[in-house]
Amino acid sequence: MKYLISSVIILTCLAVAKFLTALLESSFPAPLLGMVLLLVLLLTGLVKEQHLKPTASPLLNYMPLFFIPAGVGIIEHLGLISQNWPLLLTIFIVVPLTSVLLIGAVIAYFKGRENDS
Amino acid sequence: MTVSLWWLCVPCIIALFLVLRFLNAKTQHATAKALSNPVCWAIVLTAAMLVALKLPYEPFAEHSKVLSWLLEPAIVALALPLYQQFIHVKKNLLLILISCSLGVINATLVASLICYFFAAPAQLSASLASLSVTTPITLLVTESLGGIPSLAAAMVIFIGVLGAIFGNLIFSLINIRNAQAKGVAIGTACHAIGTASLISDQPKAGAFASVAMALSALLSAIIVPILYPVIQHVLV
Repeated sequence: MKYLISSVIILTCLAVAKFLTALLESSFPAPLLGMVLLLVLLLTGLVKEQHLKPTASPLLNYMPLFFIPAGVGIIEHLGLISQNWPLLLTIFIVVPLTSVLLIGAVIAYFKGRENDS
Repeated sequence: MTVSLWWLCVPCIIALFLVLRFLNAKTQHATAKALSNPVCWAIVLTAAMLVALKLPYEPFAEHSKVLSWLLEPAIVALALPLYQQFIHVKKNLLLILISCSLGVINATLVASLICYFFAAPAQLSASLASLSVTTPITLLVTESLGGIPSLAAAMVIFIGVLGAIFGNLIFSLINIRNAQAKGVAIGTACHAIGTASLISDQPKAGAFASVAMALSALLSAIIVPILYPVIQHVLV
């Protein structure tokens, strides 16, 4: 029963999100809208954490499994990757490095470089 | 081949992933743990097998649909950790929110600029616009931008491994020891794999990283689909 309730909550959010994105002809990904909807339901207290957990916990625990097939799709683009490896390598290093430096600097500016406690 | 063996792919992926996850859980050393990431290796080994056996991707995707279909409700379920993290950080929420947004904007902007200088094709720059976010979200956002989701996912996973290995070195180089600064930076830029590496040896930074990872998932979903077309419009 608890599995049924939590599944219904999650699938309803997904279905409503799909309906809305179709209605508005938006390219915004429906599952993400569903996530936002569910978050709002949780924050407003309409849905309780314990109602959601029975289905949400195993789904989250095994989530990496669900994107393995999509990740394997990379074999269709090996040519593109080998042609553009200098670009990919540059992005691979520069993007996370600049983000880490930027965020580290912003927070250190407000909170100091040492631990406050 | 008349008798199709494609039905084997789902059980094989599940078995492979569970074995890899078990081996990873047994690994103690921090660098070895990051390098033995089960998702990374499950994708690499499955892809290598298909290539080695000269099997096409399309029937593989068709027969592993069950798994891909479950990704959608799993993403909706991400609201739960997001909510749990939200309650934790009300005190520092504004600063973390701003930092995460800056990180997400920075990742999209820097990647677009680099693509511009390399004169990369549009499909490629769309694939690299959403790298400061956890893998399932990048798949969706990249698809909505017209990029190659699998390429974005691979980049995100590799960036996570990079952050898990070199994160601490960077912070000692720039002289930052504040757990909040470290956590939010790694959580935003290097998502799950970077966060996992912090949780084990610096729990306080790890907690901030979990918050930042959850927030950047939400922020990326909102910011990137709006920001990316604007950047492209300005650059072209």
